Amino acid sequence: MGPLIPNGLIPIEWNFVIAILIGIAFGYIMEATGFSSSRKLTGVFYGYDFAVLKVFFTSAVVAVIGLYYMDYLNFVDISQLYVQPTYLWAAIIGGIIMGVGFLAGGFCPGTSLCAVAIGKIDGMVFTVGLMIGIFIFSESFSILEPFFESSNLGHVTLVDSLGISPYWIILIITVVALIAFAFSDWVRSKVKKVFY
Amino acid sequence: MSKSYKSKKILVKRRYQILAAILFLLALGLVLLPKYKENEGIDPELFVKNALSTERYISTDVLADRLINQDPTVLLIDTRSEDEFNEFSLPDAVNIPVKDFFNENLNPFLDQNVFDVILFSNDNFYANEAWMLGNRLGYTNLYILKGGLNEWFSTIIDPKYPDETMPREAFELYSFRKAAGMYFGVGEAESKTEEKPVQKKKVVTVPKKKKRAPEGGC
Repeated sequence: MGPLIPNGLIPIEWNFVIAILIGIAFGYIMEATGFSSSRKLTGVFYGYDFAVLKVFFTSAVVAVIGLYYMDYLNFVDISQLYVQPTYLWAAIIGGIIMGVGFLAGGFCPGTSLCAVAIGKIDGMVFTVGLMIGIFIFSESFSILEPFFESSNLGHVTLVDSLGISPYWIILIITVVALIAFAFSDWVRSKVKKVFY
Repeated sequence: MSKSYKSKKILVKRRYQILAAILFLLALGLVLLPKYKENEGIDPELFVKNALSTERYISTDVLADRLINQDPTVLLIDTRSEDEFNEFSLPDAVNIPVKDFFNENLNPFLDQNVFDVILFSNDNFYANEAWMLGNRLGYTNLYILKGGLNEWFSTIIDPKYPDETMPREAFELYSFRKAAGMYFGVGEAESKTEEKPVQKKKVVTVPKKKKRAPEGGC
């Protein structure tokens, strides 16, 4: 049956309307979880708050389990879903830059906009920096392009590269997530409480 | 720490444990669920729609025209057995019997979108079987030579001369078919009048009767 738009169950014109509605819901939940606070976001690096790890890991695991159950019941065809291509080295370098920016600025791109929405000045400053970064990257793209496009592994997933059944990968990732949650709770109990 | 705070904390912890257990059980469920092989290929409705449509048929005349014009997009596939293929087939045809249709080595011939794959057999039967399998697997550009080789014989190789009362188009079609037949090397044999070796007439020598010398006399 699904995905709904590629299979014509929902006209393609609804694409952006649905995207906006999902975006609003996403923003609302992020703000409600407290992700518009840079102190909460960077807490994961200092060990006093693991909400980021827990929220994102939980959402990934819930989404993947849900999707595979829907695939099993023929509600969604997993093979029709878009898989982002993997640019290995570009992704590693980009991840490091993103991590440094995240830690230094206290936001990631989505949460910074959440912070702007509730009128936080640090969020606004971060967003301006984000725009400058985007501008510099776009202008120097012709220089960066050879590196950006090297090491393109295509639309690979763990199932392709490891050759294991996706169900086992999901189980392993779920167990890893649960261990990470328990570990983060343990770390949190050892670290001095920070109130903000 | 007050007693109520402590019991509340335990309750929250218990709630997390239950949630974690649910997540784990759901993930485990995916591993343990009985696996079934999903049918590959296109949607059943589309399959039926394609099967009912006659667009897959290509007439012998159209095929002959395309072959004569050396259309590079034509790929002929003979779905009969290897023996039959060796005996006779269309020019440059590839032999893929229906039973070998799932042979992965032959997949590049069928699962592509460059050539118009034209399947044929003696009549429509095997070609239709092959077409149905291919269509189910989602292969595109599959066609069937309508009437198969039998039709090819009766139209291109040995076309019937139209009745005198038939329209002009029928005569034009006949002459096209005759010319096509010649292109495929059939008509030529007919047109060439075999030069029969001129048999030398046997000369029967009749020995001349020698004139008898007059005998005697009265």
